[in-house]
Order: sequence, then C-alpha cells, then structure tokens
Amino acid sequence: MELIGNIVTIIGLAVMLTGVVGLYKFKDFYLRLLVLAKIDTVGAITFMIGIIIRHGFSSFSLKVLLIMVLFIILNPLTAHILARAAYQSIEGITEEQYIEGYDDGHGGK
Amino acid sequence: MIYVLLVFWVTSAILAIQARKLVRLIVYLAIFSTISAICFFVLGAPDVAMAEVAVSSFSTVFMIVCFEKYFTLVTEVTPDPPKEKIFLMRFRKLVLPIAFTGLLAVLFVYFIPEGAASTYLRDLYLSRFMFEVGGENAVTSIYLGYRVYDTLFEALMLLISVVGVAHMSWRNESEITDEQFAGVTKSDAVDVYTIRIICPAMLIFGVYLILNGHISPGGGFQGGVAVASFFICRYLIHNVYDVRFGKIMIFEKMTFAAIVVLAAVFIFFGFYVQFPQFRTAYMILMNLLIAMKVSFGFIIIFYRYIAFERR
Amino acid sequence: MYVIWILLAFMLLYIIRTVQGPTVWDRLLGMSLISVKVIILIIAIASIFDRAYMLDYAIIYALFGFISVIFITFFIKDRMRGNK
Repeated sequence: MELIGNIVTIIGLAVMLTGVVGLYKFKDFYLRLLVLAKIDTVGAITFMIGIIIRHGFSSFSLKVLLIMVLFIILNPLTAHILARAAYQSIEGITEEQYIEGYDDGHGGK
Repeated sequence: MIYVLLVFWVTSAILAIQARKLVRLIVYLAIFSTISAICFFVLGAPDVAMAEVAVSSFSTVFMIVCFEKYFTLVTEVTPDPPKEKIFLMRFRKLVLPIAFTGLLAVLFVYFIPEGAASTYLRDLYLSRFMFEVGGENAVTSIYLGYRVYDTLFEALMLLISVVGVAHMSWRNESEITDEQFAGVTKSDAVDVYTIRIICPAMLIFGVYLILNGHISPGGGFQGGVAVASFFICRYLIHNVYDVRFGKIMIFEKMTFAAIVVLAAVFIFFGFYVQFPQFRTAYMILMNLLIAMKVSFGFIIIFYRYIAFERR
Repeated sequence: MYVIWILLAFMLLYIIRTVQGPTVWDRLLGMSLISVKVIILIIAIASIFDRAYMLDYAIIYALFGFISVIFITFFIKDRMRGNK
C-alpha cells in the first residue's frame, strides 16, 4: 500500500515539474496562468491522493481529503480572478493575440 | 531543510526591502510572511505559525487599501539620479545590508551567551503544567495560567489600537454611502458563488480552533482572526454598508471587561486551587472571550479601513 | 525526505520567476504558486512525521491564502487601466 502511495506521489510531483518547465518556457502571461489553473491543481490533487493511499483509512486521510476539497474549490477561483483582472486591465497582451483568440464578444478593449 | 528555508526567508526579506514600486513591495511582503510561517512551523512553533498566516492576510489587505489611497503619490515619475550617485546608492542599498546581516550572523554564531541556554524554566513548565494549569497544549496553559498578565495587556493593546483607528478616521459615519463603500471591488458571479460556498467553512474552522485551543495548536487569537476573515468574505459578497460601529465597539469593550473579570476571579482570588474540576471550562471560556474580542477588533479595523479611509 | 527537497527546488524556481516577471500579474501568479507549494510541503512533513495536528495548519493556509490575492487584484485592477 505504501509503495503504491509513493508512486502516485511521484506522479504528482512529475506533473508539477512540467508546470515549472512551462512557467519558464511560455512567453505570455495567459499561457503562464495555465500552470496555476490546471497543472498545479492536477499535481496537488494527485499528490494528496497518493498521501491518502499511503495512510489508509484514518483521521489523517480524512483531513487530507478536507484540504483537497478546499483546494479544488479555491485554486481555480484564484486563477479565475487573476485572469479576469489581467484581462480587464489589458496588461501584457498584444494586439495580435487579442484579435486571434481573446475576444469576449463585448468588445472588451 | 531548515537552512534552505532560512535562506529563502532572508532572500525574500531583502527583496521586500529592495523593491522600488509599492505593489512589488506588497507582493514580496506576502511571500515573506508565507515563508516565515513555514519557518516557524518547521522550527516547532505551530501556534505562532498559525497566527502569522492569519495575520498576514489581514495585513496585506490593510496595506493594499492604503496603497489605493495614495496611488497618485506613488506613480509620480522620479527623475534618474546622476551617474556618480548611482554607485553610492548601490553601495548603500546592497553592500551595507548584506554586510550588516553577515556581521549579525557571525555574532550569533560566535558569541552565544552562556546563561541563555539554561533549561530550568522550560523543564519546570513542561513537567508541571498538566497538574497546575490543565490542558494538553503547553502554550495555552502558559498564556492562560502562568503568564495571564501578558494576555491581559495584549488584549488591552489591541483595544487601544482599535480605539486609535476608530477615532483618527477622516469622515463621519453619516457620510458613507453604499456606492462609496463598495468602491472598486465589484465581484462577478463566479467569485460570489464560490466565496459563498467557502464562508461557512471559515466560520466552522474558526470555532474549531477556538474550542480545541487547549488540546491542539490554535487558540483564542487564531480562531478570532479566522472568524473575522469570514467578515472580509461577507464584504466581498454583499457590498452593502450596514455596519453599526457603535454597537460593535461597545461589545468589544464589554468583552475586554469580561476577560479581566474572569481572569481576576479565577486566578488571583485562588479559585484555581479550590476547584480543579473547572479548569478546562475556564480555559475554553477564556479562549472564547479572547476570540470574541479579537474578532470584534479586527472587524472594526477592517471596515474602518474599507469605508472611511478610501478616497 | 526526497519530496521536501524537490518542493524546495520548485519554490526557488518560483521565487526567481516572481522576481523576474515582467508584469504585476506574474508576481501575483508566483505568489499563489508558492502558497500552493507551501500547502503541499506541510502535507509532506505531516505525512513523514505522521502527526495529524499539523494538517490544521495546511487547512488554515488553504482557507486564507486566497484572500490577499483577491484583494490585491481587486485594488490594482482599475488603477492599472489608466496609468500603467
């Protein structure tokens, strides 16, 4: 049981490592936001599932489950707020990208 | 591991000092408090770490409100200094702090005072707190039993700072409108619904911290701040000015009086020795009162900053 | 134990990104990433020492970490539009 948990934990860490690589490779803020919004959420959830498997059914894993629920709710919220605020203030976004894919239908700029 | 964390700590502190713009300063300061909290945690002080986390969010909020007020002052462009001064500025800003830090580190390593390492008081407290004060968390039994004067005067200090914030505001209470109160913080639907889900969790967790203060890390102050942060979320959801400061301030003063009376009756009149079965009840009640006082104080300071100190 | 060292290396890279980031939003992104890493680090430490009370600290971090980010974004957002 402990071996399986460790393996799942390592998978979570590997997912986070891809996030770190992406953080340095992407040139745009909105692409970098992907690291927080998706990759880090997935990595952290995988990590916590690994910890839960490692400890079996106990109060420890129940608390980790609680943290996981809070994390699933709150981390996308942070990413959403950051993306929305950055879009509204038109910061770090070029004209081409705006025309290509960031139009929200209201003529935001 | 702890050495790497300490290096991060010092690095973020230097970053915060070095920052030119105020926004960067605030962000670096938030990172600094994050890392200092994990340092306290690893060094074995979970109570302090919890207080640091809870207070850091509040202090960031206060700083950003002040920043919004003085934004026009900040964005004024300062001319570049002449070139011969740049070297002097770099010397002053970079070399001197690093030299000072290195000097302090050398002093700490080589001149450890002999008498400071005495473990007499620690052994005394750790061996006797269960029988003399009760409770399983040594920190709580120290700040509610052995050092109750400290707790009283800390509560008094918070009361004085709240009174100072309340009486040095710029405007009268009758001038505040809903629109002014809401200001720039207009949340969209996603924020409102998500924070509505999270709010009760904050309240429940705060009450859990308060009521478990005597057996696990946490206690009155941390729980009180957790309960007060519920009201920050309430501000984010509602945006309506319906706070009555007078009643909250009266409640806060009454709570402080209750803390003083309870501590005086239970500890100084000797009920502590006569009724050992009430000790747990005393600790829970005291934690609850401290939490009420702290949360009232933080609510007053937060709403004052939001409603009264903005442009 | 290896987990902790890997997480510390991640935190170092995030701090570098935070310092380097061209805009304010990059710095805020780095800040929230660091707070996520702190939560993971606490869970790892609690799992190694097998103490359940340490997880309270991770819960309080998960609950309060987002308040400061929310307020900074809200208060910068409208001011950024006019004067960059």
